[in-house]
Amino acid sequence: MELLLTNLAHGFGVALSLQNISFALLGALIGTAIGVLPGIGPVATISLLLPITFGLPATTAIIMLAGIFYGAQYGGSTTAILLNLPGEVSSVVTTLEGYKMARNGRAGAALATAALGSFFAGSIATILVAASGPLLTQVALSFGPADYFSLMLLGLIIACVLAQGSIIKAVGMVVLGVALGLVGTDVQTGQQRFTFGIPELSDGIGFVPIAMGMFGIAEIVLNLERPESRSVLSSKVGSLWLTKDEFKRATPAVLRGTVVGSFLGILPGGGASLAAFGSYMMERKMSKGRHMFGQGAIEGVAGPEAANNAAAQTSFIPLLTLGIPSNAVMALMVGALIIQGIQPGPRMVEAQPDLFWGLIASMWIGNLMLLVINLPMIGMWVKLLQVPYRFLYPSILVFCCIGVYSLNNNVFDVYMTVLFTVFGYMCNKLKLEPAPLLIGFVLGPMMEEHLRRAMLLSRGDWSVFIQRPISATMLGIAATALALMLLPNIRKGKDKALAE
Amino acid sequence: MQLKINAKDLASGIFLVLVALVGLYLNQDHSLGTARRMGPGYMPMMVFYIQAGLGALVIFFSLFSGPDPLEKWTKMDWGSLALGIAAGTLAWKLSPSVWGFFGQTYNAVGLGITVGFLVMAISAGWKLLAIICAAVALFGLILEKGGFFAALTAVILVSCVAEHTHTKKGVAGLLVFLLVLCWWVFIYELDIRVNLWPQS
Repeated sequence: MELLLTNLAHGFGVALSLQNISFALLGALIGTAIGVLPGIGPVATISLLLPITFGLPATTAIIMLAGIFYGAQYGGSTTAILLNLPGEVSSVVTTLEGYKMARNGRAGAALATAALGSFFAGSIATILVAASGPLLTQVALSFGPADYFSLMLLGLIIACVLAQGSIIKAVGMVVLGVALGLVGTDVQTGQQRFTFGIPELSDGIGFVPIAMGMFGIAEIVLNLERPESRSVLSSKVGSLWLTKDEFKRATPAVLRGTVVGSFLGILPGGGASLAAFGSYMMERKMSKGRHMFGQGAIEGVAGPEAANNAAAQTSFIPLLTLGIPSNAVMALMVGALIIQGIQPGPRMVEAQPDLFWGLIASMWIGNLMLLVINLPMIGMWVKLLQVPYRFLYPSILVFCCIGVYSLNNNVFDVYMTVLFTVFGYMCNKLKLEPAPLLIGFVLGPMMEEHLRRAMLLSRGDWSVFIQRPISATMLGIAATALALMLLPNIRKGKDKALAE
Repeated sequence: MQLKINAKDLASGIFLVLVALVGLYLNQDHSLGTARRMGPGYMPMMVFYIQAGLGALVIFFSLFSGPDPLEKWTKMDWGSLALGIAAGTLAWKLSPSVWGFFGQTYNAVGLGITVGFLVMAISAGWKLLAIICAAVALFGLILEKGGFFAALTAVILVSCVAEHTHTKKGVAGLLVFLLVLCWWVFIYELDIRVNLWPQS
């Protein structure tokens, strides 16, 4: 406990340096803007801004990228409540009750609930990250290569199970991502694999061209294909203060949402949208105001908003302790760390205490900033909504182009981005999910390394994966999850749940 | 039992299998090694076998889970796709002999991509995708020789063609705004190494 406090104090020292705090603020501001604007998500934004962070120290870079991520959770709820348009996937459920509240003239209360609930949940989740991080790291240090391999496999499988649509297609995309990760020089023998003699490919396919092409530019094309249907803002925000009754009803919902969100955020493949949905289902069944659902129940805003923010924080746990990304945003964080020369994993806490504790402290500071950014400045964000998409997309495109080029100062990356734009567009038309591909791409090379090491240690004996208890448990969970999803009833339940 | 073909899944499955087969073919160059000492070809072999298997499963299930048809391609779409690929390939292969600039680095590839997509943009089905891709490729083509500002202008102007509600005034304002913003962020603040003006 005492150690935790010392560490946190150290973290705050790092996070409160002028540079780190200003980049945390910048990240939070950009994140909120992204969250408010429909049509560009955190994955696209973070990949867009990755090149900008290269010049920064690693800690500052990660602090800013993290700020974008949780900033987007806050901003997404604003549009959900005021316009019935989810700015982010994770705020889809907020539209259900939040927009109703706005139509009842309680938009201000809904916004305040969302912001305060998020802040509370974010603070609790941050403490959770700080407390569990070092503990889990201890556990992770006893992992052998075989355990790591199985753990990554489990992460990949769960990410697929929870993905929307067909599981087999999602697994197919993961494997395709792993295959793309094979391109480049083989680490152990130095042999070139699948490079077609192109020198730029000997370091592997760039992470940024894939992310930007598939999530950034392909998304622009798809948005342009849909005619713009943004209703003009008419509802007034109204008073931000909650009534006593509203406060009484929102508090337990926030508490439940925090618990649900923190738990679902840690799960591989979980994350903010799943957490928000889980909390919404729970409130509809359990809360005192359940009879009011559909007419603007405050519990339906408080719970999911707390949950999605809690999950956004706790999804950092697997990344920081095990080096395993649990969703596409975390995959981008791994990319950012690797570009900075830091191998994410259990050794990070000791090797990079500034980064680990600084990031945790900055999460809390960032949440506090977001509270200020969101509540008193709500009018400014509403104005931002009135910028038409026809001005936004050329701006995004220009930033993508310069960003991709500045990675290596090589136009090759620009053309790779075009290739992945076409691929991303095709995937959308074929209902293939791009997120599992990105996770597979990031985990693939690590899995190969651990697999080869494990097999070398076991002298070519495959049974090592079921003889080691940790590894066997992971594989067991993965197999169970897959088997459960193949049962038609549960699958239908999941599809229904994710579609709502 | 009647076949209800899910065309989207069918196409996805075929795509996965094809990529896996190409991968397995290319992987013949790499030594497999043994399970104990895996060579560079071992992991790719496993990955592509699994991928082929999954693709086959997707194809199998697609026969019953439909109907979910693909978007219809018009004759125009097919024609412009073929024409675009032909024009792009020609531009890529022939351009170096026309102007030495295209013989350097990836300029011929960039020209090929740009020309190909611009041709594809003729048909309504490809218009948006083709214009955006052409804009990005044009950026790569112009940047090193024509400089930062020329490349940005090209991206912005070409991409604005994609949206019919743009007005001349709006585009001009956007152009000036973005040029200043990008100069400030990338040149003044971040100082990326790139030519600002055309090189002779």
